[in-house]
Amino acid sequence: MRFAKFILKNVLRNKRRTLLTISSLVVSLFLIISLATILTEFERGSQEANPMRLMTRHSVSLGFLLPIADVQRIEAVPGVKAVMPFTWFGGIYKDEKNFFANFAADAKKLREIMPELKMSDAEWQAFVADRQGAVVGRKLVKLYGFTPGQRITLKSPIYNQDVEFIIRGVCTGADEKTLYFHHDYLNELAPEWAKDQAGLFSILANSPDDVPRIAQAVDSMFANTDAPTKTESEREFARSFETMSGGVKQFLYGIMAAITFSLVLVMGNTMAMTVRERTKEVGTLKAIGFKRPTIAGLFLGEAILLATIGAAIGIGGAVLLFHSVDMSIYIPGFFISFVPTTQTLIAAFLLSIVVGIVSVVYSTYRVTALTIAEALRSTE
Amino acid sequence: MALPIKYNLRNLIVRKGSTLATAFTIGLTVAVFLLVMALARGIDLTLSSSGEPLNVIVVREGSTAELNSSVTRENFNDLIYLDGVTREGDQPLATGEIITLIYKARKGQSQGSNVTVRGVGPMSFKLHSGFEVVSGRSFQPGLTEAVVSKRIAERFQGLDVGDKFRIQTTDYTVVGLFDSAGKAFESEIWVDVNSLSSTTKRDTFSSVLLRAKDQSALAALSKRITDDPKLHLKALSERTFYEDQQGIASGALKGLAVFISFIMAVGAGFAGMNTMYAAVARRTKEIGTLRVLGFSRRSILVAFLLESVAVALIGAAIGIVLTLPLNFVSTGTSNWVTFSEIAFNFRVTVDLMILALLFGAIIGFVGSLLPSIRAARFRIVEALRA
Repeated sequence: MRFAKFILKNVLRNKRRTLLTISSLVVSLFLIISLATILTEFERGSQEANPMRLMTRHSVSLGFLLPIADVQRIEAVPGVKAVMPFTWFGGIYKDEKNFFANFAADAKKLREIMPELKMSDAEWQAFVADRQGAVVGRKLVKLYGFTPGQRITLKSPIYNQDVEFIIRGVCTGADEKTLYFHHDYLNELAPEWAKDQAGLFSILANSPDDVPRIAQAVDSMFANTDAPTKTESEREFARSFETMSGGVKQFLYGIMAAITFSLVLVMGNTMAMTVRERTKEVGTLKAIGFKRPTIAGLFLGEAILLATIGAAIGIGGAVLLFHSVDMSIYIPGFFISFVPTTQTLIAAFLLSIVVGIVSVVYSTYRVTALTIAEALRSTE
Repeated sequence: MALPIKYNLRNLIVRKGSTLATAFTIGLTVAVFLLVMALARGIDLTLSSSGEPLNVIVVREGSTAELNSSVTRENFNDLIYLDGVTREGDQPLATGEIITLIYKARKGQSQGSNVTVRGVGPMSFKLHSGFEVVSGRSFQPGLTEAVVSKRIAERFQGLDVGDKFRIQTTDYTVVGLFDSAGKAFESEIWVDVNSLSSTTKRDTFSSVLLRAKDQSALAALSKRITDDPKLHLKALSERTFYEDQQGIASGALKGLAVFISFIMAVGAGFAGMNTMYAAVARRTKEIGTLRVLGFSRRSILVAFLLESVAVALIGAAIGIVLTLPLNFVSTGTSNWVTFSEIAFNFRVTVDLMILALLFGAIIGFVGSLLPSIRAARFRIVEALRA
């Protein structure tokens, strides 16, 4: 602590330089946190999946449909609590830019199978009672100003239909950028090839222990039919979407590495300038008896102080921004939320400190190795 | 009177450590920008080159992709004898194709993605130019054989020559690998359309492809088919069809590129400012001397700006060199319209490189503006006394 004041004075000596270095650190850390959050949010779907739920799809591809009649047979499998058809409608609201997920589901079972959807009893009843009714996630209300009672039309290229819905409720929970509507209604309007067909079945098990057995039982039941199935836990199902995006993960890691490296260069360059300018002072300090480790410690302390301030502002700024504005509304795709995790923030802080230390090591080593005479003779 | 360029260059060499650090900072920013843009460009180029200028593609009205479209065989027979369709001998240059998907695991992973399987007829090879078998042979009509694009075989398990894969309940044998001049078909597996039709128990085609006689025939054909109230079909030029698909993925990438590189540029700009302020401070006396020698404030300003832009250009060049090895490296992602894999290459094109140089120069210019103005504003007496 004896040297704290000395370090602080040195940091404040060239205020403009300190400010620029910290600013550079702040924006880089903010960027790293944003990118890391894309990664963690990307995996949230599988991490927060309900361990009691399974998804059944056509074993060949999501592009193929399954007969709705399968529902009754699946219901009879021991351990199954409830089953409903769950079909991607692909409807577009007014313009292709307004992309959000919309699913046809069994209105009567939706609440039981997806208990994370929260809505008042009155709204649930209104939705179930109206076969043209739809439930929209809270974020859709924010984005498009949907209100209960409003009629909206979705145009589905898949079903080649313009379908009108009446909004009967606003729900929270799960992906709040989703619209749910009656599977019966879809079936009524569906063209011949899609009649009595569903894209997926959502299965609720009695307990998580039943899940693997149910998956096996369902798949073997349909193995030799025209529509063989692939059933997996909701977590596995979500994970398969995550891997579909291929190299995105490595790509983002690569970019984060590049940002970190450029941060080392920025800090390294600044600290090198700072250290070099004080060559003469190092000579003086040595002359009055300070040892090499102490002098090195002073420079190290200065770098760590800069890194800490930068990290505090960068991390604080990111937390403040992402908690006050919900970016998941504005980022296209299936982001449920957009909030950096604690691990991300801790990692960003440690990264900043490490970068600070690395940036000062070489120039400190060089300058403290000089003899008193050499240092004092310096022209810097 | 302007200062000689040599003055700037020598200065850069004198402080080479800091010059290099600044250049590398800008270089990394430019490299990241180029990397993401090269990905977006790869998708754009793959899709825009996939359509042939005179091909008309016919799908069900309202379909955005072939996967969710269907055209009956009856309609097919009407379409191919329309006026304006090119003939080869007495055969119309037209084909009906069927699209399906299979789920395959990526190499080295247990999870994977959907791969598009295209059932093609004999005329398909004439309508999609660039198809070339690079190993093995092509499939024999009527058999359950398949040719797999080389890129897909490289990225997914169990799709090499001799391997078998399953479509619904039927096994297909891979008998060859193909290339297709960088087109979207390099994300596909091709099999005989009639085999696929019986495998998938599907009687209709997913799409019909016609070769128009010329541009005006193409327009007339498209209009004739789309406007026919009995057909419920949509016809458009194949080129437009593929160009319309690039939207989501490449748009998202371009947005990401702008977001990341803007923030990185701000960071690099601050770093550049630091270096330039230090350079100005160290050369205060020198600036005073130059002013005494008769160089104007403006030439001092220009000299410092030039110096910084030069560093930035070196940096941008480093960035370009860093990304060049990735040019033509193959990668892939899912097409969010059909949930199937699209394979494509990073493409670092000349116009992107020019854009990258410009981007670097702007970072250098903006970052050095304030320090250079400071240098130009020194009063001679004070500068000399520093």
